[in-house]
Amino acid sequence: MTDAPGGIRGWRPGRKGVLWRLRFTSLRLRLVVVFGLVALTAAVSASGIAYWLNREAVLTRAQDAVLRDFRQEMQNHASALPMPTTQDELMRTAGQMANSSQRFSVLLVAEDTNKQTVFGNSGGLNGFSLEDVPKSLRTAVNKQQSVTDGNKEPYHLYWQRVTEHGTPYLVAGTRMIGGGPTGYMLKSLEPEAKDLNSLAWSLGIATGLALIGSALLAQAAATTVLKPVHRLGIAARRLGEGKLDTRLRVSGTDELAELSRTFNQTAEALEKRVADMAARDDASRRFVADMSHELRTPLTAITAVVEVLEEELDAETGSVDPMIEPAVRLVVSETKRLGDLVENLMEVTRFDAGTARLVLDDVDLADQITACIDARAWLDAVDLDAERGIHSRLDPRRLDVILANLIGNALKHGGSPVRVSVRLEDDDLVIAVRDHGPGIPEDVLPHVFDRFYKASASRPRSEGSGLGLSIAMENAHIHGGGITAANSPDGGAVFTLRLPRDASALMEETDKGESEGDGSDGSKGNTP
Amino acid sequence: MSPVPSLLLIEDDDAIRTALELSLTRQGHRVATAASGEDGLKLLREQRPDLIVLDVMLPGIDGFEVCRRIRRTDQLPIILLTARSDDIDIVVGLESGADDYVVKPVQGRVLDARIRAVLRRGEREANDAASFGSLVIDRAAMTVTKNGEDLQLTPTELRLLLELSRRPGQALSRQQLLRLVWEHDYLGDSRLVDACVQRLRAKVEDVPSSPTLIRTVRGVGYRLDSPQ
Repeated sequence: MTDAPGGIRGWRPGRKGVLWRLRFTSLRLRLVVVFGLVALTAAVSASGIAYWLNREAVLTRAQDAVLRDFRQEMQNHASALPMPTTQDELMRTAGQMANSSQRFSVLLVAEDTNKQTVFGNSGGLNGFSLEDVPKSLRTAVNKQQSVTDGNKEPYHLYWQRVTEHGTPYLVAGTRMIGGGPTGYMLKSLEPEAKDLNSLAWSLGIATGLALIGSALLAQAAATTVLKPVHRLGIAARRLGEGKLDTRLRVSGTDELAELSRTFNQTAEALEKRVADMAARDDASRRFVADMSHELRTPLTAITAVVEVLEEELDAETGSVDPMIEPAVRLVVSETKRLGDLVENLMEVTRFDAGTARLVLDDVDLADQITACIDARAWLDAVDLDAERGIHSRLDPRRLDVILANLIGNALKHGGSPVRVSVRLEDDDLVIAVRDHGPGIPEDVLPHVFDRFYKASASRPRSEGSGLGLSIAMENAHIHGGGITAANSPDGGAVFTLRLPRDASALMEETDKGESEGDGSDGSKGNTP
Repeated sequence: MSPVPSLLLIEDDDAIRTALELSLTRQGHRVATAASGEDGLKLLREQRPDLIVLDVMLPGIDGFEVCRRIRRTDQLPIILLTARSDDIDIVVGLESGADDYVVKPVQGRVLDARIRAVLRRGEREANDAASFGSLVIDRAAMTVTKNGEDLQLTPTELRLLLELSRRPGQALSRQQLLRLVWEHDYLGDSRLVDACVQRLRAKVEDVPSSPTLIRTVRGVGYRLDSPQ
C-alpha cells in the first residue's frame, strides 16, 4: 500500500488530486496495466489459436478439392492424349481441363514427334508458364521414385503454396505414369485469403474490445479499492494534524473495512492517551499554579514583616542584636528571592494556562528602554542606541519584563558594557542586546530559554530564578514575536528580540477567540 | 481630613492582616482592620476612615462586591489588594470602582506610596473655576457641578478631571495621566485610566456612550473638550 494517496506529502494538498491521477506508479495505473496484460494475453492466444486452426481448415479443404479435381482432370483428359503430341493438342486439352468447376489454370508439358518440348496452357490473361512453377516443385514432380511396397507409384502429385504480387496461389504438378504429359495447375487462393483476413480483423476487434473492457473493469476495481484508501489517507493526515476525533465510517467486512476499524481503534487509543497526558499535564500545571497562589499568602505576610526588619537594620540605631543581624539579613535577602521566584512561577503558570493578556499602549521605545534601565540603576553599564520617536503599540509592562531579563542576564553573565540597539525592519521592531562576555557555549545555546536550565551543574547558583529568559520568551510570543540567542562573531552573546510594531491585530484575534471564556470569568467575579 | 490618615484594612488572612497592619502603622498610618467584608462595611460606618485597603478574596461577600456597595454611598478611595494578578480580576476590580490596585505579595513601601498618592488627590489646590458646557469645576472648593447639581466624584475621578481640565483641548496619553493622577512609575497599568474615564463619563457626560466632553484620542489617550 505504499502508493496509497496518503503517501503524498501533506504540504501540497492542493495539487494532490492531479498528481494522484498522473503518478506513473500509482495503484490505479498498475491495476489497469495488469488487467490489460491479462486481457491481452488471453485474447491474443485465443484469437491466435482460433485463427490458426481456421486457416488450416479452410486452406486444407480448398486445396483438397482443387487437387482432387486436378487429378481427375488429368486422368480424364491428359491420359487420353496420344503420345507424342502436338502443341495444339496440348492447348486444347489444357483448355478442357481448366473448364472444371474449380477454375484453375492448367499447363501441360509433353514432347512432340521431333522430341521437342511443347507446352499447352489453358490461357487466361497472364498465361500460366513454366516459370510460374517453382523449380523445387518441378524437380519433385519430374523425379522418378523407386517403386516399393510402401510407394506404389514412380510419380506423385506435388503441391506448393506460393505468393506472387501479394496474391496467394496453390501450385500443383504431376506426371502421367506411363509417359503421359506432365501437368501443372495454378489456383488462386484469394477468396480464402480474404475470408481469413476478415476473420483476423474480427478477432483483432474482439481483442481490442476485450482490452477496453478490462481497462474499465480495472478502473472500477481500482476505484473500489482506492476510494477507501484515499479516505484512509485523508483521515490519517487529519489525525496527524492533531484532529484526534477523526474516525472512518466502517462498511462491509472486507480487508479495507478491517483496516478502517483498526484505524478507528488506533485513533481512539491515541485520543484517549493524548487526553490522559493532557489531563496529567493540566493537573501538574494546576498544581504549580495553586502552589504558587498558596505560597503567596504567607509570602505577603512575610514580605510585609521583613520590610520592618529591614528598616530596623538600615536605621543603624543598634536596635538589632549584632549576633542575629546576619540571620536577619539572610532572611531579608532570601525572602526577596522567594518573592521573585513565586512571582515568576505565577507568571509562567499564567502563560501555561493561557490566561496572560496583553495590555497595549503606545510607547516611545527609547523612553521605555531608558526608563527600564534607569529604574534598575543600569544607566552606567548599558549603552543604548535608539532614536527617539520610534513609537510602537505593545504591552509596556511585558516589554519591560523582556528587557529587564535580557539586559540583566547580559550584565550578569556577559559583563558590561551591554549594548542595546533598536531598529525597525519592515513592520517589525528589532531590539538587540549584546554583551562583551565570553559568549554562550554552543551546546548551551539551544537551551538558554528552557526553564530552570543552568549552564552547568557545577556552576554556583545565580540570583536568577532560572525562569527569566523563559518568561522573556513567553512575553515575546504573546506579542506575536520571538527572541533568538546567538554568539556575535566579534565575541559576546547577542539576544535579538523581534516584535511586531503593532500588536493590536494579534490581540483582536485572541479576544475574538476567547471572548466567551472572558464573559464567563467576568460573571463569576461579578456575582459570587 | 485628619493629619494622620486613618485606613481601614479588610483582609481575611490573619498573618497578612497582622503583618500589613504592622507595616502600615510603622509608615505612620492609623490602621483599623476587619477580617471580612461584612465587618469592614460595619466598621466603615462607625469609623469613617480616609481610605480602604481591600482584599479581593474574602469569605462571604468578596472584595468586588464590597467595593460596589461602598461606591453606592461613598466616594472614599479604595485600593484593591489582589492575590491573583490575573488580568480579569484587575479589570473587574477597576470596574467595580476601585481607585488603584496592588498585587500580592505586596511590599509595604509600595502600598504606602500608593496610599499616599491616592490621599494626595483629595488635597485642595488654590485655583479658579473652569466651565465646560454645563459642567463647572471649582478648583478652590474642589467641587464639580453639572447643571447646578453637585456631582459626587471620588478623589481619583476628581483629580483626573482636574488634570484634563488644566489642559483643555490637549490630548493626554494614558502614561501621562498615570503619572499625573496615580503617580505611578513608567510601568503604570493603563487600564486604571480607562476604567476611571468610564466612571467619570458616567457621571459627567449627558450620554456616557457618546461622550462630548471627555473624548478618546485614538492611539494617544484622552482630551477634555468644550462642547461646541
